Amino acid sequence: MNFKETLNKLLNSKTVQGILIANIFALLVIGIQSALIPNENGTLVFSEFVIIPILMGMITAWFWKDMGIKGKQITGYSILNGLIAILMSFFFLGEGFICLLIVSPLIFGFIISGAFIGRAMFKKRNQTLNISVLSLLLGIFIVDSLSDHHHENMVSDEILINASPAEVWQHVVAFEPISQRENYWLFKIGMPSPMATTVSEHKLGANRKCIFSNGYIFDEKIVKFDINRNLVFDIIDQPKDPEIMGHIDIKRGEFILKDNGNGTTTLVGNSWYNLHVFPTWYYDLWAESVTRNVHFRVMEHIKFLSEQ
Amino acid sequence: MFSFIVKRFGFLKDIPLFAVVFDSLMRLWMFFTKPELLDWIDELEENAIRMPGTTVGIHKYGGTQFNYRGREFAHIHSNGLLDILLNKDLKRSLITEGKIKDHHVFKNSGWISFYIDSKEDVSYASYLLNKAYDRARQKDNKEIYS
Repeated sequence: MNFKETLNKLLNSKTVQGILIANIFALLVIGIQSALIPNENGTLVFSEFVIIPILMGMITAWFWKDMGIKGKQITGYSILNGLIAILMSFFFLGEGFICLLIVSPLIFGFIISGAFIGRAMFKKRNQTLNISVLSLLLGIFIVDSLSDHHHENMVSDEILINASPAEVWQHVVAFEPISQRENYWLFKIGMPSPMATTVSEHKLGANRKCIFSNGYIFDEKIVKFDINRNLVFDIIDQPKDPEIMGHIDIKRGEFILKDNGNGTTTLVGNSWYNLHVFPTWYYDLWAESVTRNVHFRVMEHIKFLSEQ
Repeated sequence: MFSFIVKRFGFLKDIPLFAVVFDSLMRLWMFFTKPELLDWIDELEENAIRMPGTTVGIHKYGGTQFNYRGREFAHIHSNGLLDILLNKDLKRSLITEGKIKDHHVFKNSGWISFYIDSKEDVSYASYLLNKAYDRARQKDNKEIYS
């Protein structure tokens, strides 16, 4: 069998047609959506991770409905469908590896669900039901795409340091490079982690730089400088990389030093961020986890330096 | 793991699609870790649809649902947990055989749970499914003639 015949056979296969059309549909919808509703923040809405994968699963179910394929095959083909969608996000949307890893449970979960919902739905051969469900999903997609999306959150962590606030303060404003090994799995697989902080001057209004493992630099400005007590800095510029940092804006950071009166200090680290990916019930779990691990990596290092 | 999630996060099941997506993720996990389980579920499904009047759909709390004339008589979650509706007498007698348990959520009901863990379990699951089907059919006949 030559290449042309193989290609023809593939294209005539209902299995391939389902996966192909589902992915073309997803690309077209996202393309039309970005053309009609441009957004400067690069916000990715709930519908792109929920409604589109469900519809992709349903499209495949439509193509496979008379093939009598079993549940295991539907699962396998849906995984292939999801993998192609993820690969297309990598090439066409420029998403990074870690970002795609984070998004993949949503994509696979909803594509498989869509395929099984579609199978059950199309078995009923009820056009009114089919049109109602599809219209409902498209309606949600349009409303969601046209809605304003804004989500801000604050993550707070604290650590006990066996040193006085004056000692801790010396390592809070700026600190030497972190030499401890990464212990958070996302940092281990390549997500940038904090490495060092430098400061232009030890005073209010000074510029601070937080340097990450891959060389990314967060430019910060000190907006509160209460010696031995409180340091607040606004992030004035952050790198836009294809990984999670492209989807989250860190707005402000703060260190609070509480004197425990017994030679120890409770160090509190706070961060405020805006999230540009939705649904927040899913992505905020990740954002909180990453922020928390950034906090602890820095705060453990401050503890290590202060207790030396 | 499944019991832990049902116990701790069971309240989330009423969020539309939550349980269905959770079941899909279990199916994804099984596809890579225990693919033969999906074959056994398919086999059970094939057995079920051969029973006259039976249809297969999606269970509202995730998994495949088996109906007799539109009424549910069993469902199977994608981790191999088969939940079957029997009557309490039948349930009592089957429990003495030691293979089935009370339903993992509704303990004091006619529902029972049975885990499909090996190929041998499929025939017992089919036997249970037949029992539930017979019960559903008898109940339906009674309703028609009463």
